[in-house]
Amino acid sequence: MITFQNVTKTYKGTTVALRDCTVDIDKGEFVFLVGPSGSGKTTFIRLLLREEVPDSGRIWEAGREIGQLSKWRIPYLRRNIGCVFQDFQLLPNKSVFENVAFALEVIGRPKHVIATQVPQVLDLVGLTKKSENLPGELSGGEQQRVAVARAFVNRPLILLADEPTGNLDPKTSLGIMRLLDRINRTGTTVVVATHDAGMVDQMRRRVIELDRGTLVRDQARGVYGVDSAVAVAGAGSPTGSLTEEAPGPAVDDLEFIAQQRRLGA
Amino acid sequence: MPVSAGYVAREATSNLWRNRLMTVAAILTVAVSLALVGSALLLKQGATTATVRWQQGVNVIVWVDPGASGVQNQAVHSQLMQDPLVKTCTYRNQAYDYAEAKRLLPAQEVAATQQSDYPSSYRCALFNPSEATVVKQEFTGKPGVNSVEFQAAQIRTMQNVIHILQWVFLSVAVVLLLSASVLILNTIRIAIFARRREVSVMKLVGATNWFIRLPFMAEGLIQGIIGSAVAVLVVLGLYWGIGLNTAKTVANQGSLIAQMSMSGWEVAGTCIVVGLVGIGVGVVGSAFAVRRFLDV
Repeated sequence: MITFQNVTKTYKGTTVALRDCTVDIDKGEFVFLVGPSGSGKTTFIRLLLREEVPDSGRIWEAGREIGQLSKWRIPYLRRNIGCVFQDFQLLPNKSVFENVAFALEVIGRPKHVIATQVPQVLDLVGLTKKSENLPGELSGGEQQRVAVARAFVNRPLILLADEPTGNLDPKTSLGIMRLLDRINRTGTTVVVATHDAGMVDQMRRRVIELDRGTLVRDQARGVYGVDSAVAVAGAGSPTGSLTEEAPGPAVDDLEFIAQQRRLGA
Repeated sequence: MPVSAGYVAREATSNLWRNRLMTVAAILTVAVSLALVGSALLLKQGATTATVRWQQGVNVIVWVDPGASGVQNQAVHSQLMQDPLVKTCTYRNQAYDYAEAKRLLPAQEVAATQQSDYPSSYRCALFNPSEATVVKQEFTGKPGVNSVEFQAAQIRTMQNVIHILQWVFLSVAVVLLLSASVLILNTIRIAIFARRREVSVMKLVGATNWFIRLPFMAEGLIQGIIGSAVAVLVVLGLYWGIGLNTAKTVANQGSLIAQMSMSGWEVAGTCIVVGLVGIGVGVVGSAFAVRRFLDV
């Protein structure tokens, strides 16, 4: 689904954001992109959104090489990609429903499609009752759910999340991660850039670590860092807390583990 | 992807309303500058109908007797060409003069005549226009010459004044049109800034570039159209207000306004030009703003 081949990106010719990065992400995978600030995570996401083009190397996404994409095709690429940010980026003067519907309106979807798909996705994120509220009337976690709903309403092939839990407390973050996990189970490829170590350790998904633009680790069922890897190893069941603490619809634990095994982790 | 006209109109008008003070300023500037353009065009057309025989430096007209023989006509021509006071001469046949008379003279005067009643003519430019009286004396009474007419000093003065006025109007109008474009550009820049969140979300979810641009372009277009509509009203007000629509009659031949009178078609032409320039200013202003400030 996503392939980076020797991708290098520098800003103003001197700051190296990504150096010779080669990585393959299959359809349906859930990947954490970790590393300290300035390690190149956001550049990775921006390259996938085609907000930046690499200095060298090639990127394939959803079967297309996106470096070759002409400018007018970029919007059509982005319709296959949902994106969630740390600061939610909701429109403050539109209701929850309108915020999600906006994503379909501006790509010219007809009204009846909007009328069926928006309630569906609001149900998925558990915000059916708040669909007429304004973003300002919601908690941070709820706002991020709206953002996820907006990113997912068009059923993208790929969902990108740049620090989706950066503004949220651990418990709320967990809810968002569970939501991303559910979306992943529909077959959507999910890439989450984060430095939320606890979350990464609990989820035990593939981890790609960047350090000053260089890919230093690519580990299936990984943890955030070397230190936490030791800690988690000592703590016994790594996935336990995810289901114990989380409110709302339960993640199917068996299915979760089964999937891990299928991935050969 | 088709962009719905309803969507574009809705977005554009809501933008205009949100930013109405700047919008009014832009529309008024467009209106004032286009009213000046329109007045300059009216003035030019009026001057043209009033002084059509004296255009392009014609100072003297030698009317050839309708009954003059070919030889006489030829003689008049060669004398004119040899005259040291005369710079150039153009021959106009009877058909031309008949058509011109139909255009310039009151209808009831022309109705009783036909083409063969009209003289052909030589339209001459002199090296020195003030020597026209000498040429008149020279040629009056020559065989084949019906009469000699020359451009009076007042007509020359009037032409000059109108010419200068026209240029003043047009250059003021150009400056105002430039500032109108800048004002439109600025209103759209503010609109883009006010909606930067929407724009970034639209880009993120894959709205096409034209889908994002069109409402802003439409906004400029609407300002241009409203401005030029006001200017058209001013032009029409001038046309009826000062009586440029008065038909020429034998009675009012002496009046300058009546001499400058023009048909409704000519005014319609002026209005169309004013409208097109207004639309152009709106589109250019908004296109610049969209190119410069909307990064799509």
